[in-house]
Amino acid sequence: MSWTIDEWFVVALARTIRPAETVFHGFGSPCAQVAMHVARHTHASDMVLIEGAMYAINPEPPFIPPTSNDASLRRGAAYSMRFEEFFDAAIRGDVDRMFLSGGQIDASGNTNVTAIGPVARPKVKLGGGGGGCNLSATIGQLTLWTTRHRSGHTLVEACDFITDIGHRTPLGTRAELGFTGGGPQWLVTELGVFDFPGGRARLVQLFPDVSLAEVREATGFPVEAAGDLRAVRPPSVGELAAVRSVDPLGVRRSEFSPRELDRTFEPDAGPDCAC
Amino acid sequence: MSLQPPRDKRTSLADAAALVADGAMVALGGGLSARLPMALVRELIRQGRRGLHLVGSAHGVDVDMLVAAGAVRRCEESYVGFEQDLGLAPSYRRAAEEGSIEVAESCCVNILAQLRAAEMGLPFLPVRGVRGSDIATLHPEYKTITCPFTGETLVAVPALRPDVALLHAPAGDRYGNLHLEQPYVLDERFASASRTVIATVDELVSTEDVVAAGVTIPAHLVAATVLAPFGAHPTSCYPRYAYDRAHLREYVSAAQSGPDGLAKYLATYVNGSEESYQAAVGAERLAALTAWSRSTVDWQEIFA
Repeated sequence: MSWTIDEWFVVALARTIRPAETVFHGFGSPCAQVAMHVARHTHASDMVLIEGAMYAINPEPPFIPPTSNDASLRRGAAYSMRFEEFFDAAIRGDVDRMFLSGGQIDASGNTNVTAIGPVARPKVKLGGGGGGCNLSATIGQLTLWTTRHRSGHTLVEACDFITDIGHRTPLGTRAELGFTGGGPQWLVTELGVFDFPGGRARLVQLFPDVSLAEVREATGFPVEAAGDLRAVRPPSVGELAAVRSVDPLGVRRSEFSPRELDRTFEPDAGPDCAC
Repeated sequence: MSLQPPRDKRTSLADAAALVADGAMVALGGGLSARLPMALVRELIRQGRRGLHLVGSAHGVDVDMLVAAGAVRRCEESYVGFEQDLGLAPSYRRAAEEGSIEVAESCCVNILAQLRAAEMGLPFLPVRGVRGSDIATLHPEYKTITCPFTGETLVAVPALRPDVALLHAPAGDRYGNLHLEQPYVLDERFASASRTVIATVDELVSTEDVVAAGVTIPAHLVAATVLAPFGAHPTSCYPRYAYDRAHLREYVSAAQSGPDGLAKYLATYVNGSEESYQAAVGAERLAALTAWSRSTVDWQEIFA
């Protein structure tokens, strides 16, 4: 049994979901989307999965399509929320977790999906934040992710534009801003996993082919590493099977540069199954 | 303005698009690559509309093509792009970077609250987020308020009343009753918040049939209805057809290549008529998009 980084990355994202949580992903987020279905097929079978953009509740899509508003994503769902039903639920605090990414992410977990450079005349106009500047205020916990950490441009000291709100903005902390959600809890990158003790990103896990020095090199803010920094736990047979059955078209791979997709992994010597 | 009295609202695409004035605030129905009002978008381009203020949630080829054609002054959406799959919106991006359009990027929650305020005839509604986000800096019209009951600081977003909403539905009757399939996105909200609602439908059916399928948007909100088969193409309109990923890729590639590529795309597909558009796309390709329901394999193959 071997596996690739896109599969392992999705598994690492899936593990941030806890049983019985109500979880949402935004559109254009294939890794988070696949991760939610993987979690529901492994350790979180009792979760309430809200399929992003279709707002379908616990669907069983025959495959994950390359666009988020496709009818395949509501197959098997008894109900799809209206747009306003979903946003109302998120704002009143009924959604426990959301996945968020960004072209830039800072150490407080603020994210930028709006513009690189000055917003009036940007160097790059990004797509935009969807509902993020409100959802990030009220949803219970946020799992952030990026597959572009190694570029050196993604994890930055300060975002050029704050679209979605992390633990602290120039206007104050979440508590000072009166936000009811807990903010970023995890940041998963193709290099490792961060948590946010005291509201600041801290490296807690590394993929085994990545060194702490590489992470520091690729990160625009000083990287604090946990005392018990460890390797990301390899995917189980069940987790890998779930990834492959949920996403037969491999849409998750569209988030990675070709170089990253060459990363393949073998289990350490010893039994490779949990039986 | 009173509700629309019952009458036959059928009209031509050209006459319907003529209800959109230069400089109008235009709400776009659908979202991402689903049920975008593309026949009306193409007709507005044919008619050389200018200075539009576009409003929507998450959009793609509709906004990008209108920007490419020089029809847009101001963009107020929560997202414009082609998702992870096909990436950034080339014309929107270029215009934003050159400063030739005003980018008033918004948030789904703000737009929703603003439409609801308009529906209720109220000047504003409050939202809880936004503060600390630079989205606030793009909207000097938002105001910070103190809740008179709890003392909380909230953000007041003003009512948004589009001049015209452009919606596309798989089926409707001659009176303007529309049946939609999920996702409805903001179409229902646009229908009651906007001054004028124009609908295109893939199929005109009897009132009995649209009632049996379920009326999502009622005739009393709709001013004009136009028969426009494949009127959402290259985006999807389930249960009729899936989105045309290959065509979107062709569009994105043309738009990325610059003015010549775009001009060629517009000449090939848009500048003529909806009939010439469908002929250029090809009957075989359009038929393939309707084959999604045959099997999961057929469905997946459309997206290859």
